[in-house]
Amino acid sequence: MRHEQIETNSGLMLLLILVVISIGGLVEIVPLFYINETVEDVKGEVRPYTPLELRGRDIYVREGCYLCHSQQIRPFRDEWLRYGHYSLAAESQYDHPFQWGSKRTGPDLARVGGKYSNQWQVQHLNAPRSVVPQSIMPNYPWLLQTDLDYSDIVGRMRALRWTGVPYSVTQAEYDRNVKTFGKATADLLDINQAQDNLLKQARDRDFDGNPSRITEMDALVAYLQVLGTMVDFTKYDEGYFARFR
Amino acid sequence: MSQSSALPAEQYNYDIIRRFTIMAMVWAVLGMSVGVYIASELAWPFLNFDIPQLTFGRLRPVHTTLVIFGFGGSALFATSYYIVQRTSQARLAFPWLAEFTFWGWTGGVALGVMTYMMGITQGREYAEFEWPLDIAITLVWVSYFAVYIETLRRRTQPHIYVANWFYLAFILAVALLHIFNNLAVPVSLTKSYSLFSGVQDAMTQWWYGHNAVGFFLTAAFLGMMYYFVPKQAGRPVYSYRLSIIHFWALIFLYMWAGGHHLHWTSLPDWVSTLAATFSVILLMPSWGGMINGIMTLSGAWDKLRSDPVMLFLITSLSFYGMSTFEGPLMSLKSVNALSHYTDWTIGHVHSGALGWVALVSFGSFYHLIPRLWDSKMYSQTLIYVHFWLATIGIVLYITSMWVAGIGQGLMLRSFDDYGNLAYTFIETVEFMHTPYVWRALGGAFFVTGVLVMVYNMAMTIARRQPAAETQLSAKPAQA
Amino acid sequence: MFDWLMWFTRMDNSKPLALILFFGAFCGVLIYVFADQRRSQRLESYKNIPLDDDEPVQPDAAPAERHPQSRKVMDNE
Repeated sequence: MRHEQIETNSGLMLLLILVVISIGGLVEIVPLFYINETVEDVKGEVRPYTPLELRGRDIYVREGCYLCHSQQIRPFRDEWLRYGHYSLAAESQYDHPFQWGSKRTGPDLARVGGKYSNQWQVQHLNAPRSVVPQSIMPNYPWLLQTDLDYSDIVGRMRALRWTGVPYSVTQAEYDRNVKTFGKATADLLDINQAQDNLLKQARDRDFDGNPSRITEMDALVAYLQVLGTMVDFTKYDEGYFARFR
Repeated sequence: MSQSSALPAEQYNYDIIRRFTIMAMVWAVLGMSVGVYIASELAWPFLNFDIPQLTFGRLRPVHTTLVIFGFGGSALFATSYYIVQRTSQARLAFPWLAEFTFWGWTGGVALGVMTYMMGITQGREYAEFEWPLDIAITLVWVSYFAVYIETLRRRTQPHIYVANWFYLAFILAVALLHIFNNLAVPVSLTKSYSLFSGVQDAMTQWWYGHNAVGFFLTAAFLGMMYYFVPKQAGRPVYSYRLSIIHFWALIFLYMWAGGHHLHWTSLPDWVSTLAATFSVILLMPSWGGMINGIMTLSGAWDKLRSDPVMLFLITSLSFYGMSTFEGPLMSLKSVNALSHYTDWTIGHVHSGALGWVALVSFGSFYHLIPRLWDSKMYSQTLIYVHFWLATIGIVLYITSMWVAGIGQGLMLRSFDDYGNLAYTFIETVEFMHTPYVWRALGGAFFVTGVLVMVYNMAMTIARRQPAAETQLSAKPAQA
Repeated sequence: MFDWLMWFTRMDNSKPLALILFFGAFCGVLIYVFADQRRSQRLESYKNIPLDDDEPVQPDAAPAERHPQSRKVMDNE
């Protein structure tokens, strides 16, 4: 075949371009969905977010936090000392979309959960320079002032359920969750109790320090405080995770 | 080959090109100004003013969308509609559909940046548009494809010139990337969750992200280069055979390289190794293309001294060569361990985006504007002024980002004598303040250059003889 | 019946196979494009396409007089 045949036939050229550009993506992406070695088995330790954490995550995405903070610790000594154990694929298996980020203008947040008190988080989000004078993070005062909108929490969880996140609607799904995650967690993942669960978690934990209101701050801090805390690394020896790399 | 007796301005549809050219400059001014503003926010955080719509996290997608899709996209629409008509010697097909691409694209970008400021986003870099806008963009893109391919089919010139191959690959690849990366389950009009999660989502996103660079910001602009460099130089491209190799190798290899954005992450090692390998190989077609463009001037180097437009085009190719060398370097796992997550990446992007994409577009526009408005450029001197402002701006930008990025990378991984971390994270933030100030200054230089161009362009349009507007009417002999 | 397909699913087999295929295709294109002298000349002749569209031939005798403005902008000026 002469190259002129391609050059003088727009249909043929179109077809060839499509073939040539498809190969790379097919080879690299398709296997990720099938190879079961991609995601570690951590025995039901990583659970989907509770309704309140989920709303917090939505706010995290809305404010574009991922543009300055990564959620992906790499297997290097300095990162281990600074942030903790390197991130596992399993830890972001329910993240739609993933928030690994691409730039650390601020530190990594993959294991920020539990590192600081709720009070510190609230003050830091409200006015970062009041706790870290050299910080260049914007103030987020509106988080404390805005009541959390949780009216569509059921819709949000249903959409995620549709993508494969194990939130339960039917009894069978609930039973499956009890088996995987235990009863306490399975209750939190039940869409039928979503609103009650959200209100209960916000009132019991009172993340923002203001018990009279449920604000966006409650949700965001609830999300930050759970990041990277689900896997108990003392239960595994290091060689186990290396197999999935 | 058929040739019509009409003037180019009436034989071809120039109206749509004029409008895209003007919009490209509008987006350039807006998008780059937002860029300077958010760069200043990083240097002086009080500029966030506690206003949600102005915080860095919401303005950053505004900046990237305005410059990539607003400026870059409009420049590509303008030049592709020009080139496909001129090299096919056929008038643009489906004029009403082309009209729709203009309003659709312009409206899409405008709506998109407004929704970002309201906090409506998919949270995927360079693909932040929520699903209704994604669908609208898909419609615009399909129309673009229809106009483009039908114009090609109506060509009176038997061969499809190489510039059109690149544009065609760009249109097809972007369609593919856009559709797969934006698969999502909607909750409401303003919120959706991506269909994939975690590792699979990350790989899909960076397959998209890297090829947005590869096809939107590289392949398509190479199409621009393959037409405007030979035209401005008045001589054919250095080697047509090299361009065949260049084309097929580039579009094949680019699609593999996305994984290098995910080195050392939870992505399986084999994918990132494969991606790094292909990234390194990609250096060859990239430099083949650069050599092909620059060597077009071989034997006529004096044009660089007399023609500021040529200066823009050749400098853009030099920056293209530089950033396509830097890219494979940064895709090596050992280098990436230091460079990733730092400002080195930001500098690298801008040496490509400002040095290559913006300069080649400006050069092409300086060639295009006199032809579109049937007039001479208002001032050659101002083109030189623009060139130097832009070049100084780029150099300030990328050197300050090297300092910030490599500096931060080294600080983060240094240990004291006892094996403890030598610096806290916040100490690196403090260190980056000075480079951030220089970066903002570099950006300001670049924007000033664009404003000079806008002035030059406006004067060119305003100053042309009124008779030129009707194009064909018998003109007085004053010319 | 399709057991032989399994051979391709093993990375140790598919990697070198893919390498040979892609590299072979690349060499094939290189040889096709650069080896034959006559073909080279033919291919190179297409690079003038963008330069051919500069000045449409005017059917009447004095195009420059009829459209003085059209001479104002020359390509490559």
